[in-house]
Amino acid sequence: MPDDVIIETRNLTKVYRDFWGRQKVRALKALDLEVRRGEIFGLLGPNGSGKTTTIKLILGLLFPTSGQVLCFGRDATDVAKNERIGYLPEESYLYKFLSAEETLDFYGRLFRMSRRLRRQRTAELISLVGLAGAKKRQLREYSKGMTRRIGLAQALINDPELILLDEPTTGLDPLGIRDMKQMILDLRERGKTIVMCSHRLDDVEDVCDRIAILYEGELKELGRVDSLLKVRDVTEFQARGLSDTARQAVGQCIEREGGEVVSVGNPTTTLERLFLDIIAESEAHPGRRVVRRERDA
Amino acid sequence: MVVETQLIPFHQWIAQGPLVWLAVVAALVVVGVFFSALVAVVRHGPAVGLELTGRVLGSSVGDLFCMSPRRVWALTRLAIKDSLRRRVVVVFVVFLLLLLFAGWFLDPSSDHPLRLYIGFVLTATSYLVLLLMLFLSALSLPTDLKNKTLHTVVTKPVRPSEIVLGRMLGFVLLGTMLLVLMGAISYVFVIRGLAHTHEVVPGNLVPANSDEPAGTEGVPLRGKSTRANGHRHDVALDRTGRGRLEMTQDHFHRVTSQQQGDRTVYHVGSPEGMQVARVPLYGKLRFMDSQRHEADRGTNVGDEWAYRSYLQGGSLAAGVWSFDGVTPQTFPSGLQLEMTLGVFRTYKGDIEQGVAGVLLLRNPKTGLTVEAKVFKSREFSTDVHRLPRKLTPMTAYRLKEEKDSDGRVKYVREELAGNAKGQYDLFDDLTDDGHLEVWLQCLDPDQYFGVAQPDLYLRARNASFALNFAKGYFGIWMQMVLVICFGVMFSTFLSGPVAMIATVGMLVGGIFRGFMIELALGKTWGGGPVESFIRILTQDNVVSDLPEGIRTTVAQTVDAVLQRGLWVVARILPPFGDFDCADYVAYGFNVSGSWIGERGLTTLGFAVALFVVGYFFLKTREVAR
Repeated sequence: MPDDVIIETRNLTKVYRDFWGRQKVRALKALDLEVRRGEIFGLLGPNGSGKTTTIKLILGLLFPTSGQVLCFGRDATDVAKNERIGYLPEESYLYKFLSAEETLDFYGRLFRMSRRLRRQRTAELISLVGLAGAKKRQLREYSKGMTRRIGLAQALINDPELILLDEPTTGLDPLGIRDMKQMILDLRERGKTIVMCSHRLDDVEDVCDRIAILYEGELKELGRVDSLLKVRDVTEFQARGLSDTARQAVGQCIEREGGEVVSVGNPTTTLERLFLDIIAESEAHPGRRVVRRERDA
Repeated sequence: MVVETQLIPFHQWIAQGPLVWLAVVAALVVVGVFFSALVAVVRHGPAVGLELTGRVLGSSVGDLFCMSPRRVWALTRLAIKDSLRRRVVVVFVVFLLLLLFAGWFLDPSSDHPLRLYIGFVLTATSYLVLLLMLFLSALSLPTDLKNKTLHTVVTKPVRPSEIVLGRMLGFVLLGTMLLVLMGAISYVFVIRGLAHTHEVVPGNLVPANSDEPAGTEGVPLRGKSTRANGHRHDVALDRTGRGRLEMTQDHFHRVTSQQQGDRTVYHVGSPEGMQVARVPLYGKLRFMDSQRHEADRGTNVGDEWAYRSYLQGGSLAAGVWSFDGVTPQTFPSGLQLEMTLGVFRTYKGDIEQGVAGVLLLRNPKTGLTVEAKVFKSREFSTDVHRLPRKLTPMTAYRLKEEKDSDGRVKYVREELAGNAKGQYDLFDDLTDDGHLEVWLQCLDPDQYFGVAQPDLYLRARNASFALNFAKGYFGIWMQMVLVICFGVMFSTFLSGPVAMIATVGMLVGGIFRGFMIELALGKTWGGGPVESFIRILTQDNVVSDLPEGIRTTVAQTVDAVLQRGLWVVARILPPFGDFDCADYVAYGFNVSGSWIGERGLTTLGFAVALFVVGYFFLKTREVAR
């Protein structure tokens, strides 16, 4: 496993079974992924596509049926890896009888943090997520947005190298969403690696460097966002200051069609368009889709 | 007090208890690893399955031995806070309400009010605390799993062992705090509830000697005290006006008098003798038959309850208690011998008089035997005999140990030469290096004394009642620890309600533990499970041997295997009732250090084993399923 690879899944498969061992659903099918240091990696897919299962397998909350997950080169069930991980679950599963301060102090105690450091981190994080005015209140009194904020704060209590965010913008108002996205980008600036899964395509498009699109447990697309959004079978020209000869040649060609050349390049589609295309293709042609590695440039 | 389970001295228990524990744990480890590997192989195939099993076992060493005290403490605090959030304080309020209204249903005029009060507070406390802990321990982890709050904990560097231990410690600490509070309040409740005094009215007193006219001064007086707490006492005052209110309802009062002008005012003290913690020195009981031959048991009078064995009256049959540690340091003012005898009458006789018996003291080395006391039995109450250091017996002789032609041990009386009726020193003449034998015989022909080993003891001293009361609460504490450990262990792989039922099932199963161990050791009639089943089908008598043949051989072979399994299963069940020492406290007996030590270590043994089992279940379960 190269040094810059933080997470690696090899042929990762998860089958959910009932009490009698009968197969209920195949949630993940032979997933091969690599998440690299310092990037924001998005897991995209409709409900039941295996995004959350993947995150839970990375965290060791679930055990693979076959295949392997390595995180920082360690097996996912090795709790020592958690020293370097922060996790924000889909819902903020926190103890509602604790206040924000008590929550962060409790999670801080689970790491090797001195009391002084815990207090310092608690104060910093409460300020970062904008809950300074409500830090003494029990979480049961918090709104959903506030709960998400304190959830993010607990995920950052140990200043982790890898942060796993499951639907980070769920329950946030537009301002909150904007702040959350900015926080994610800031974390990347500080060298953190982030894996997030989301339904919200605009979130992923705005912040992710690379994405993987899952559908019914299978990897359908993998690559850099900007690369994936390129429409490769269309050429877009944007040119200024061409020589007369060249402009004439191109212009003649375009003028023959009654248009005007403005630029030359690759036009982009939206992530939403790409996503819907892939889903439509997967429904039309079930089975594993060959992921074009070359697009992951 | 009936003590059906004989308490083994701690030094004997410690020699075998840990070995039994190790044997059971070893058996469980072998069975557990085998079945875990089997499941893994079935699910993942032989290579991966065995590798997974090995990996789990390998990582368990670190998980069990490298726990972080800081993380465990954080999880302990969380469990306490979580419990407080669930309003455990309500239980405390219920307890206070029970005490508040206890006066309505606790009858202070009972014959044994202390037993009533102590029985009430210990029962109320144990029911409330055990029920509370059952709910908390069995529901806590499943609730965390259901709410997914555990997800944010296990994704921190927390070992499953720390989660299990944190829960167990949290609930134990919370329960301990509750018990300390309840114990302190209960103690005050008992002491204050039984505190009372009486008045001695001079007009109710008459001279003890009926020849003296009433009102005569400077003579011993008798009479009755005023009524308080539903009873009154006989008053016995000496010439100086001092004396006591005689023993009633297990207590007496000291009385002093003061002359105020021409009036005598009597001051009655607080009740004494009730809140005691006797420290008994128990002997080892053996029996002599009517010819003074050693016997396994006394006479069987047909009592189904085999606790007591009977001594035939008017014969040489005797119960012999051998005591160790009878020294002047332990008994500086002579022996106080206390006994509770069962009496079996073959004819009614004078029911008021009791049956006559004699106590003999014998030096086991020299055989010197003296008749220490002839007495009339007191049924249903403790009979107290004080034997001074210097004894002047009616009879003294030597009982020599011999063997008859059958090889049986018998004791032959040999008269002493010279001063047989002289004075004997308890320690110099009748004990040998602290060893003393007390022989009990029934004198009335055709009547019987029923005796069991704990029925007769030497009262060495009194221990602190408050401390003994605390030991009663320690018994509840150990029961609570067992409930918590079972509850948490089951909750690592069962849902809350099922974990609760499973915990209760284990505790109820513990009631049959003794029978199962007897069955496993082949001490019961009718053989093992298969043989017994055959007997049920064929309606064979349990005492007759099964006909020889393949069927019997197979049945007995299978039984031998099943009995070993049964032995392990029986040892897994907690001896829950053994941890209850309420009777010791209520009947005024000191709970010994051996009792505390054995039960304490047994509790620890269960706690450690249950913690490890709980850890493995949590480790191998998918938290996010």
